[in-house]
Amino acid sequence: MIKKKITMLGAFAVGKTSLVQRFVNSIFSEKYQTTIGVKIDQKLVKIDDHLVTLMLWDLYGEDDFLKVKSSYLMGSSGYLLVADGTRAKTLEVAISLQKMAREVTQNAPFIFIINKTDLNDLWEIDTEAIDKLRKSGWEVLLTSAKENFRVEEAFDKLTKMMLQQK
Amino acid sequence: METNKNHSEGNLTDQDQLNSLRKLITGLGQKELERLQLLMTDPHEFSEEISELLPHAIRTLLSKGEITTDDLQPIIEETIQSSIQRNPRKLADILYPVMIPAIRKAVSEDIKKMLASVNASLESGFSIKRLKWRLQALFSKNSYAEIVLANSFVYHVSHVFLIHRDTGLLLHEERSAEAETLEANLVSAMLTAIRDFVKDSFKEKGSGTLEEIQVGSLNILIEQGPYAIVASVVEGQPPLDYRETLSETIEAVHYNHLNDLQQFEGETESFIHASRFLQNCLIQERKEKKGSVFPWPLFIIALLLLLSVIWIFYEKYNRQSEFNNFVKQLDETPGYHITQAKMRFNTYTISGLKDPEASPIDAIIDENNLQGKKIIYSLSPYASLDEGLVLNRAMRQLNPPDEVEMTYYQSGLLKLSGKATADWVYATSKQYQYILGVIKLDTSELNVSRENSFSEITTQNLSWIIPIIENYSFVFDVNVVSLDAEQQQQFDSLMSAAIFLADYNQLYNKKMAIFISTYTSRGGNTQANLDVANRRAAEFVNLFEEAGLTNELIDIQIVYAEDNEEQVPLRSVTFKVTEKTGDRI
Ligand SMILES: Nc1nc2c(ncn2[C@@H]2O[C@H](COP(=O)(O)OP(=O)(O)OP(=O)(O)O)[C@@H](O)[C@H]2O)c(=O)[nH]1
Ligand SMILES: [Mg+2]
Repeated sequence: MIKKKITMLGAFAVGKTSLVQRFVNSIFSEKYQTTIGVKIDQKLVKIDDHLVTLMLWDLYGEDDFLKVKSSYLMGSSGYLLVADGTRAKTLEVAISLQKMAREVTQNAPFIFIINKTDLNDLWEIDTEAIDKLRKSGWEVLLTSAKENFRVEEAFDKLTKMMLQQK
Repeated sequence: METNKNHSEGNLTDQDQLNSLRKLITGLGQKELERLQLLMTDPHEFSEEISELLPHAIRTLLSKGEITTDDLQPIIEETIQSSIQRNPRKLADILYPVMIPAIRKAVSEDIKKMLASVNASLESGFSIKRLKWRLQALFSKNSYAEIVLANSFVYHVSHVFLIHRDTGLLLHEERSAEAETLEANLVSAMLTAIRDFVKDSFKEKGSGTLEEIQVGSLNILIEQGPYAIVASVVEGQPPLDYRETLSETIEAVHYNHLNDLQQFEGETESFIHASRFLQNCLIQERKEKKGSVFPWPLFIIALLLLLSVIWIFYEKYNRQSEFNNFVKQLDETPGYHITQAKMRFNTYTISGLKDPEASPIDAIIDENNLQGKKIIYSLSPYASLDEGLVLNRAMRQLNPPDEVEMTYYQSGLLKLSGKATADWVYATSKQYQYILGVIKLDTSELNVSRENSFSEITTQNLSWIIPIIENYSFVFDVNVVSLDAEQQQQFDSLMSAAIFLADYNQLYNKKMAIFISTYTSRGGNTQANLDVANRRAAEFVNLFEEAGLTNELIDIQIVYAEDNEEQVPLRSVTFKVTEKTGDRI
């Protein structure tokens, strides 16, 4: 039995909790309840005949007043870096968080997620910016926790990357 | 600025003159002036400048006493208040590192205090509550431990987790048989998260690690090693050395799994071998063995001992009172006089007096259920004056015919009534003085069967009549001559023997007569004394004659009791039967 720790990173209200809940419990709520500290969930996934228990650490989102503490990231085998497509600023937050995460996790694999694809009208991030990130080697996925769009794929992909890392 | 420059180029001399004049008056150069001007026109610059001065100014004002901290307080309070309203999180963050350790310290103080008191009550052992639980366990299907657990007094370690330190991943879990399943993976991760949180929050030196978390009634004890931590879920208060057990466990795990831990990539299988270390932490029964709970078997033994001591004392008391009752009853039984009674262990000793006529002891023993008890008697024989016993004795010695009834009076008088043969009456008259307790014999109400005796007279002796007659004596008051009613009865009884005197003389060919002796003292009037004595004698002669005794069977003797040699009461009349000489005194 293999166990892995995955951390959800990103600015506040980008949909970290929503993604985890969609993935683990197949539910979505419009209501915003900010995460305080950390909320932990687990999910058993099967990747190439390997059973892996994922421990999902859903951290509070970073905002102007509260920086994400590195200690929660310790021991993560991988992380999901989440931004909100309707708020360009969350992209910057994610990028700065990645710098910290890279150090703490010693280059653990991660996937960059731009969430809320269902909110087309409010979209603020242009494809150029996304392409630029992809070119720098980042795995970027556009998801919607609300419409269950590519959520599972994101987690599966990260898990595979983590297993390959080894 | 540029225009300004152009302008100054044109009137250089004037300007110079003005400048030197200005400098002369104000003492300020061109540069200073420009700076002042800037401050006055640009509010941003000005506030910047002031802000540098203000703290100094306030400090100076405070030290000079121009303003006080009291004046500043409302302003500062207001500021903080509005800051909290705008963004409470920020202030909380600022204060957090200060407050949490303080809170934690206070809490851990409380825990320590509670621990001490729990420990004290555990060590003091016995309590009614515990006894109640024991009883509860005896009468219900639940085990004592369960009941105790329910009463949250004795501890119970339900789960032990081995957690990878960095990842918070569960490496291995052990749980007690009674424990419910937990989402161990989640718990481990959460514990780690809490630990991280605490680690971040408590930056102070030394005691920065998390050692204990309270979740409802549960306590989670955490012991950290360099690569792994062990967390133990405890209900109630574990013994004080439990912490040591935990740290020994984490050490053992590190020693045996150092490689696995260092190279941990999420593979937990190998940690199954840590199971034996973790199981050591699942204590609950071991505590009972250690005896830090109430020493139950000891208590039972003590209780049994106490009960047997009580029983022994009760028994002894019982036996003592039984024995006392027995002794009392024995003492009250006619013919027994108990002077001492002792009970030592199972041997009783009774000393005193016993009348041979008394009823046997066995009956009293039976009555008191003392059969089979070892009783040592030391009873000296004595004669009891108890009516029943005297009668018994008389019965045995006199062997009276069925028709005879005997009554005994405490004065020593044995009264016979009913019917008896003359032979028996004679024998009795000889015998009675040997009966202990009997001093006098009264036959006045006894019917001596004469008819029978006449025939017997010819063949048997009549010698019995003489002692009977001689046994009578009559005592009178001063100057009294005639018999009172009792004396009359006595006289009748005397006559029942005296009547045979003629037959006696006939049978033995004798000339026996009854000598009536009347005693009197010489004191007082001698003549009067003599006169009374004579009259008494005459009275008896008269009575005898009236009863049918012929003159030759009677004689009179008057005696003066001059000296005390004569053991005869004064003013008395007694009788003697002797051969008649014919003289009369
Ligand atoms: N339309 C839409 N709304 C979303 C989506 N994902 C999340 N939301 C909404 O966004 C808000 C914030 O979502 P959360 O999942 O709580 O965000 P979070 O990143 O966990 O926020 P913090 O815990 O405060 O950092 C909620 O109201 C969600 O309903 C999505 O894919 N589409
Ligand atoms: Mg959240």
